[in-house]
This record gives sequence, structure tokens and C-alpha cells, in this order.
Amino acid sequence: MANPKVAFFKFSSCAGCLLSVLNIEPVLLDVLGVIDIEYFIMAKRDNHEGPYTIGFIEGAVTTPKEALELKKIREECAILVAFGNCACTGGVPSIKNWSGMTQEQLTKTVYAENINDPMLTSIPAKGIDFYVKTDAYLRGCAVDVGEMVELIKRALKGENPLFRPHSVCNECKLKENVCLLVSEGKPCMGSVSAAGCGALCPSLNRQCEGCRGPANDCNAASLAKTFMEDLGLSKDDVVRKFRKYAGNTPEFSKGAEAAL
Amino acid sequence: MSDRRLYVDYLARMEGDGAMDIVIGENGEIKKAAWEVWEPPRFFEAFLIGRKVEEAPELVQRICGICPHAHHISSLRAMERAMGVKVSEQTRLLRELMHYSDWIMSHALHIYCLAAPDFVGYESVVAMAGNPDLLPIVGKALGAKRLGNDMIVAICGHEIQNRTSVLGGYTAVPSKATLQALKDRLKASKEFGYETAKLAAQLANAEPYKSLERKAEYVSLYDPKRYPINEGKLYSNDGFEAPDEEYPIWILEKHVPNCNCKHATLKGKGNLVVGPLMRVNNNFGTLSADARKIAAEVGFSVPCFKPFMSIVARALELVHAIDSAIELIDVLGEPKLEPIKYEYKAGESYAVTEAARGICCHGGRVDKNGVIQKYDLIAPTARNIASLEDDFRAFVPKLVNLPDDDLKLKCEMMIRNYDPCQSCATHSIKVNLHREK
Repeated sequence: MANPKVAFFKFSSCAGCLLSVLNIEPVLLDVLGVIDIEYFIMAKRDNHEGPYTIGFIEGAVTTPKEALELKKIREECAILVAFGNCACTGGVPSIKNWSGMTQEQLTKTVYAENINDPMLTSIPAKGIDFYVKTDAYLRGCAVDVGEMVELIKRALKGENPLFRPHSVCNECKLKENVCLLVSEGKPCMGSVSAAGCGALCPSLNRQCEGCRGPANDCNAASLAKTFMEDLGLSKDDVVRKFRKYAGNTPEFSKGAEAAL
Repeated sequence: MSDRRLYVDYLARMEGDGAMDIVIGENGEIKKAAWEVWEPPRFFEAFLIGRKVEEAPELVQRICGICPHAHHISSLRAMERAMGVKVSEQTRLLRELMHYSDWIMSHALHIYCLAAPDFVGYESVVAMAGNPDLLPIVGKALGAKRLGNDMIVAICGHEIQNRTSVLGGYTAVPSKATLQALKDRLKASKEFGYETAKLAAQLANAEPYKSLERKAEYVSLYDPKRYPINEGKLYSNDGFEAPDEEYPIWILEKHVPNCNCKHATLKGKGNLVVGPLMRVNNNFGTLSADARKIAAEVGFSVPCFKPFMSIVARALELVHAIDSAIELIDVLGEPKLEPIKYEYKAGESYAVTEAARGICCHGGRVDKNGVIQKYDLIAPTARNIASLEDDFRAFVPKLVNLPDDDLKLKCEMMIRNYDPCQSCATHSIKVNLHREK
């Protein structure tokens, strides 16, 4: 059987998730033996047109041109994966969506006099599923390489990957961490954020910032109230928290709106 | 006879999205030599306004997945300076070790995965690995990259985006046992660093690379006592010196007629260039003893104005980074978890660090509640754009007899010499972007 054809694309983002593909050094050569990388501009010079078996997309969609390209890529890929937080939810680039500035003001602030240049056209940053059907999500900023390898292995076997829909709190309890929210009064977002990182930040004594987006059935509005009433965070602080890594999602929107 | 055009619409084996456009006239004159970055803008400098000061270092590391630590540490130092926050000696040392770990990862990645395939005639490192003769060295390169990554994980918690380093210090520190285990691996990788320098010198000392020379304003940080990575003053080979917090005064961006992008220039001077070759030129004396010894052995000496020698400079810095990391681990001993304390205070300041690919500048203004009022950043790639076009103009006429495909590749290599990060560049260069239809 021929190896599946795999493609990696980049939209508006930092390339950190794409670099993660090369950060599986111990198994990298094994993985390369069972897939054919047909398109990966950051890593190779010789790239090929689709169709592809799996397409990984890093980055948010922030221009009309990217939205058009995305639709074309969707048609070329049997399985389309949102690769990292920006592609899943719009991520860090989506912070501009709530900056309080118009796009013209944003452009003026960064690019001074050239604001009418068509290359600088920008629209509100969105995750890829705002535009196309998305088959799988690799969450996190950046992605967890373990989950990435899990997805590739499962795809090779024609199975769904086993990802965790529950909250970071579950993983934190399994690690027997002291609760940063309850015991230390830190504004940790673990209770509303999706697991899969192994409660990475709380295990390092840093509160979860929600970089994997919302967990299933999370109650962000209630956590927003706790932040304000019990921890004394200001309205602005709470809004900033819920409009950082996944402000576009309906779940985190409820957290921000509860504070406003 | 008509003009000859070399156009690559999407440059490979570099971070981000960019194109190259060179037009050679009938008599071999260069009519156009442009490197166009068309990465979509993400507006960091705008959306950081109104965010909390702690969020600046957290968010700016997300400008670039390849040099996150340079953006992060520049931002930390600028924001701490703005609010008068002093950090402990241990924090300074851990930040240095964190950044050297990033250099080890990034230099191994660039030398073997991004640059070497061009020199040995492969389209990628994956293709190189398909050659049984080259597979062992590819394996070793991946091992060194892994070591850099494991060091980053030990200090920061994650390969790409750090979790532990925050304004004022660290939320968690690595144990002595963890650091000692890394030290053993660093010692074992010294041989690989040596091999890399020999290999890089062998590749770059071939024609036409070794004959391509162009003197330019080489800018880096400088410290007479310590190789600069996180701290130092701004310095050039042509007599320029200034405190790093003054970068907004000295590094200017000006519009050049008939050119696609605004060029970063040094006030009162002209085009400048940054990166490992420039650092090594300006700071050769503070490279580790072994790095200097190996330089002599492979025939590398300063001053060196050959851009293709940047692969050798990068290899020497790989050796230096391994040596420095070993030394830092010894000095750190058993790191202690220190309390993080600071108060919000209104202020404005700027700071510069050395990303693997050159100086990285950040800074801004904070109000008394710790809310950012203004934010500014200039990434290394922005500075190199103008100088790279000078390389094209100087070198393409010498290579003009090569067939199109080969000349195109040589021009791409001239860009890769600078190990560019086009995502970084886009958020700082104030460019008039233009893409040929």
C-alpha cells in the first residue's frame, strides 16, 4: 500500500506548530518512513500539488486570500486537521478582534503611512472551521507533539484519535498538584480549558491561561464570577483572560460577557 | 534580447512566507533585486496596547516559533526596566541558559535542515536522510537539536512556548539532577560541535561561496567580558556604540524610492546587517576557548565579510553555546525557587537580545496600573532585508553565467545565509509589500 500523502500549510501564525513536526526527533525518521510529505514549504524545496490524504493547517485565517486558499485546500485533503490553537480558534492573532480599534486604526498603529497597501488587508482572525469543515483539532499553543503522533498513528490505521474532551483540572488532580485557584488564589483557567497538555502550566506552578481552548460543557461564566468576586480581579482583567487564546469560541465568549 | 527574471514565489526552508524577485538587464546589470515578505500581518504592536504588562513577554514569544526566547527575554528586560524591577542573579543565569538552549536547537536546525541541503545538492534534510552515507550525520544533527529541545523543556516546560519564565523570575526551576544529566549530554555532544564546524568550513570554502565578499555595517550586541546573548551594548565593526535601550533612536526605518520595503538603517550610517557572522566578528575574543581553537583549525579568522561563511560562524557559536551551557550549569548548582515580587509602576524602556539570527529589539510604555500604552519591536530579519538586496546586487553579476535554476538556488542561499524569520519580520518592518503578479 502506498504511503499516505501528507501536506503542511501555514496561514497567519508563528510557525511554532510546524517546527513541532521536526521536534519529534526520536521517532522522526520512523514517521517519515510511513508517510510521504508532499508539501511542507518550511522544510523542503521540492513540493507537490494535491490531492493529499491528510492536510495540516497551522495559523489563523486573517485575510480574504487565506480564506480562498483554505477552501481550495479543503477540496484537496481527505482529512483536514486544525493544527494548533490559531487554526483551532483564531488564537493569539484573534486578540486584535477585540482591541477596540477598527482595522484601519490597527493598521495605522503598526504600519504608519502605508495603510492603503492591499497586501496589508486584514479581516477578523478566525479558526479554520469558521470557513470549512474540519475533521480533527490538535489544540494548544503550541501543539502537544504526543497528540500529534497519536493522530498520525490513528489516521494510518483509519481510526479516530483518542483526545481528551474533559478539563485540565482532571489531569492536574491525577498529578496530585496543589490547586492554584482554590489553595493559592491564582486565576487559573484549568477548570474551563481542554485537557491533553498533562496540566503542563499548573504543574510548573503557573496558572492555566486556556491556550487549548474550552473543555466540553465548561462553565466559563461561573469562573469569571469567581475571578471577580473571590479573587478580586477587575472586569478588564477577566475580559483579557477570556479573549486571549480562544476568544472566538462561544464558551469563552460567555466568560468575557459575564464580566462585562 | 530581453531581461532575465529570476522569481521564486514562495521561498522554501525558511520560516514564514516570502518571495524573491531579481531582474537582470540585457547587459547583465541588476534592474531589480528584492526579497518580498508577504506573510500576513498580525498586529502585535497594536493589540498589545491595553493588555497587561505580564502578557507582553507571554504573547510576543508567539511572534515566532523558532526564536520565541529572544522575543520573550527582550520583552521581559524592557518591561522590567520600564517598571524598575530587579531580578536575581539566578534568574539572569537561567535566562542565559534558556537562550543558549534555543541557540543549540536553532543552529543545529539551520545548519543541517535548512542550509546544508543546498550545499550538498538535496532538496531537503529528509532527502539527505535517504542517502545511507549521510544518514549518520543527519541522525547526529537531530540528536543535537533534541538536546537543545530537552534543555528548553527542562527550563521552560515546553519546546516552543515557555511556561515558567515570567516577569520578575521563574515559577519553577529545574533540579540539580536534571541539569547534571543535561551537562553529561552536553559534554558528549562537544565532538559533534567540532565535526559540524569542520563540515561547515568544508562546505563554505568551495567555489563560488568562498570568493563572495562584501564589507558592510556588522551590528550586534557587545560586551568586552562576556559573549553577548541577553545583554550588552549595541555595537558595530565601524565604530558605532550605544546603550541597548537607545535602539529606537539609532535604528531607523526609511523609505527608499523604487523599493518595495522600508529599509532599516543605522542613524548617520546606512544599511546594517545582523546575525551570527556579525556577532562572531564583533565578539571573537569572548567566544569559548574551544570555539576559538576550532576556528583556527578550520581556517576561520576575523574580520570576515563573506556572507556564506555565516554557516561556519553558526557552527562556532554552536560549539560556544555547548561550552557556555556547561559552564552555566556549574555556576547554577542547585537552583532555588525564589519568590517573584514586583509592583506596577509607570515607565518606558527598551531592550535588545541576540536571537540566533541577530538582534531582537522590544520595548514600550506602561502606565501605573501595569497596562501597556505603547509597544514597539524590531526583529532581526527586518534589519537584514536591505543588506540582503545589497548582496544580490554585489554577487549576482559574478554568477550571471550560471543557468537560471542554479542562479536561483544561489540567490535563495544568499537569503538563507541570514536564517530569516519572515513571520517575525512582518510584525515589525513597516514595509510597502508588493508581490509581482
